[in-house]
Amino acid sequence: MKKHVNCRRHGAAIDAPRRTIDPDNMEKSYLQNPALLKIELMLRGTRVDPGAWDAVGTSGDLEGVADGIDIELSHKTPVNVPCKEDFTRNSPYLLKSEGGRFHITDGRDRVEVGIIRKPRFYTRKTTTGIPFSRIGVVHGSYVAITPSKRCDFFNSDVECRFCAMDLDGSTGPSATYSVDEVLETVEAAHREDRANSIYLSIGFSDGPDGGVEFLKPYIRAIKKHFNSLLAVEALPPEDNGWIDETYAIGVDSVLYNLEIYDRELFDTICPGRARLIGRDRYVEALRYAATVFPNGTVASHLLVGLEPPGSTVMGIDLLTSIGVIPILPIYRPSAGKAVRIEPLTTEVIAPVYGHLYRAVKKNGISMNWVRDISIITTPLEARFLTKEKKEGLDAAIQSIYNTKIGLKAAWGLATLRRKLRVRKTEESLDHPDI
Amino acid sequence: MPVEIDRRPLWLLLLVKGTRLLLLLSLALLFWFIVAIDPPQGLSPAGKNAIAIFIVCLSLWITNLIPLAVTSILAIIMVPLFGVLTEKETYSLFGNEAVFFILGAFILAGAVMRSGLGSRVATMIMKRFGGSSTGLARSIFLLAAVLSFFISEHAVAAMLFPMVLEIAKALKLRPGKSNYGKLLFISLAWGCIIGGVATFLGGARVPLAVGILRETSDKSIDFLDYSLAVLPVVVIMLTVGYFVLARLFPVDIEGIEEAQEVLLKKLQGMGKVSYNEYAVGIIMGLTFLAWFFLGRALGLALIALASVVTLFVFKLVRWRDIEEYVNWGIILMYGGAIILGSALDKSGAARWMADMTIQNWAETPLMVVALFSLATLILTEGMSNAAVIAVLMPVGIGMSGSFGMDPVIVTLAIAIPAGLAFALPMSTPANAIAVSSNYVNVKDMARAGIIMSITSWIVFNLVARFYWPIIGLKF
Repeated sequence: MKKHVNCRRHGAAIDAPRRTIDPDNMEKSYLQNPALLKIELMLRGTRVDPGAWDAVGTSGDLEGVADGIDIELSHKTPVNVPCKEDFTRNSPYLLKSEGGRFHITDGRDRVEVGIIRKPRFYTRKTTTGIPFSRIGVVHGSYVAITPSKRCDFFNSDVECRFCAMDLDGSTGPSATYSVDEVLETVEAAHREDRANSIYLSIGFSDGPDGGVEFLKPYIRAIKKHFNSLLAVEALPPEDNGWIDETYAIGVDSVLYNLEIYDRELFDTICPGRARLIGRDRYVEALRYAATVFPNGTVASHLLVGLEPPGSTVMGIDLLTSIGVIPILPIYRPSAGKAVRIEPLTTEVIAPVYGHLYRAVKKNGISMNWVRDISIITTPLEARFLTKEKKEGLDAAIQSIYNTKIGLKAAWGLATLRRKLRVRKTEESLDHPDI
Repeated sequence: MPVEIDRRPLWLLLLVKGTRLLLLLSLALLFWFIVAIDPPQGLSPAGKNAIAIFIVCLSLWITNLIPLAVTSILAIIMVPLFGVLTEKETYSLFGNEAVFFILGAFILAGAVMRSGLGSRVATMIMKRFGGSSTGLARSIFLLAAVLSFFISEHAVAAMLFPMVLEIAKALKLRPGKSNYGKLLFISLAWGCIIGGVATFLGGARVPLAVGILRETSDKSIDFLDYSLAVLPVVVIMLTVGYFVLARLFPVDIEGIEEAQEVLLKKLQGMGKVSYNEYAVGIIMGLTFLAWFFLGRALGLALIALASVVTLFVFKLVRWRDIEEYVNWGIILMYGGAIILGSALDKSGAARWMADMTIQNWAETPLMVVALFSLATLILTEGMSNAAVIAVLMPVGIGMSGSFGMDPVIVTLAIAIPAGLAFALPMSTPANAIAVSSNYVNVKDMARAGIIMSITSWIVFNLVARFYWPIIGLKF
């Protein structure tokens, strides 16, 4: 039986952020605002009209793939919508299909949406017999891969209280996927144009490097074979030299996930991180990484729903002030891990996302890297939660990066930047004279 | 893989890194421009192309945009490609005696180092004559000089460096602060530099200069004649160097017992003189005698190569050992430089360039010597001394023709000062090694080195003016 944490006690202590949602809009419907609708759908899920099931084609029994439908809302906003969980039965939203076109209705209004098909490679296996879906999962335009399913915190008294992943990789035949298996997965995703970015992550393992040393062969192999941008979610290393090395070996974006801003809650909900790494080291490592990696590529998760909105807002302010882009996933409680605050509604959390957009913009952080992700509302998508109605320069740049040429340019620029910035110490010993 | 992140603004990094490509592109454009235009009066089309190639190689040698040896390979490609010489002529120049002499000298020096003979001689001399603080510094200075008469000054500096460093540590000298530390390391560097110009063996630059001389005229310089011509410069500069060092870096320690202990331990560790050391010593001794007395009759390269074969006959070295000591880059660089020099000469470009440049400033042969020695001394502080030879020799040979001078004079006026680089660590490996110890900083070296450079120019010109005519080098 897992310990439960009462997060509500913080609820009244911190002021809620300033609201900027257009009240008229809220009265009418969320359907016309892609950011609001994305949050709504992530929180409440959708019912699916029986006639639409066949056309949608959910993940079914695919290993490793979350149940849910990937939908594209207006302004090319992707969202992964729960549709099979019990709570979706009470959702006001219904996905319907008419004449090959899809729309979502709330009973009063409707909006046309697109369906993002599940990748075909999910149904195939590596040459060693492992389903690709178990190794790589597509979220929008990137493939998330966790080469080792092991986390030393798992099933111990320092396990993160919100953790819903099966990270007990110490058992079972595939505790760790080989470099070749990961490469096969990336190649399969590439063939379907689903791997603009690769996202590698790792659980906690005791070591000074934060997991980079383990990921190094995967990073090198992916960089050698594919022109994909590569993000790594690791732990803050003991020494900043590892952050330099993380960039040098080919990582384009790095995430050290703080998860909780509030110091006390951090200690309670993430006891392992608090004890073995420390909240201050997270902030220090993020601050340093922001001086090494390109603008907008250093990020940190703050889980929405595990601490009061005011606390998350303060976290956003801290991270953006040091050049880090906050990523705000919505916490979905799993069985036995009900640690979230209540009520978690769009009205409560939408202003947090609005603040996210303003803070990122105010601090001049690029929004072009954290984009097209179906399981979170990105900072740029959050512009629809503010008064800013215009499609700004950021949106224009993002639409360029979404083209094939734009992707190649992004990769080329990232590679050039690394070539210019990284100096291997041994190079200084090479003298051109003979 | 330790890495550093360069945090300078990206535009600046782009500019810095892009400069190399931009310069290479500019050079390529300049080359095509010269090739495309009509040759000026008095210059053949082949001569004009030779000058275009020369400008490209000169720029690359000065800027080090690509390694020196690779620039020479470029010259080997371009000379026949642009019709300056035929392909056959070009490659045959690579078989120049100077190239094989340099190869032989590298192998012989490798044998001396590998056998342990070099270290033993050095340690014995320092132990024998380094009884006091000044005596030890003086013995390092003279030992470095004398060893550089026989093997490359670079090899001598590399061989003596660990010993001097060990002595400095045993004496607990403070890096960057101790005067005595500075004295020891600059003595090592200057000894190598001054000794290195004394014979053909101190560095490969003299054989290169002689190689270009031989390919571009019917003249040559043999081992003995060269040493005779340079002897007063070496003696005077050693004396001046000794006094400059004593004046600028007065001894600030008292006893050197710890240094003596280090040397004693080192000698004891070497054991008795081995068969290999005896044998290599005998072969080297015979080689020197042959260079001095039979050099003119048999040729220096032939003697060097014969000694190399003898080393292998008696199994004194293995090829694998020797490969560590042969700098193939230098061999390539010299071959290319000789080809370029010959191309400039045979196409008439060297003469034309000399007429257009230094001839306008020089009015007498003495001024030619003064100008070339000055230009060489300045250039050699900033670039490889071999590259200086490659750049100035073709023009110098052309110049000697314009003034009706013996080309041997101009060759000496370039070859000798090319080795006298005292002021900067990038000038020569001996200086770089001294600075790498951290006991000497660049400022110390430059301050003392400038005095030596100016003195050496004056001394060289006085020797040329008053001593050379006595030994038959008239101009």
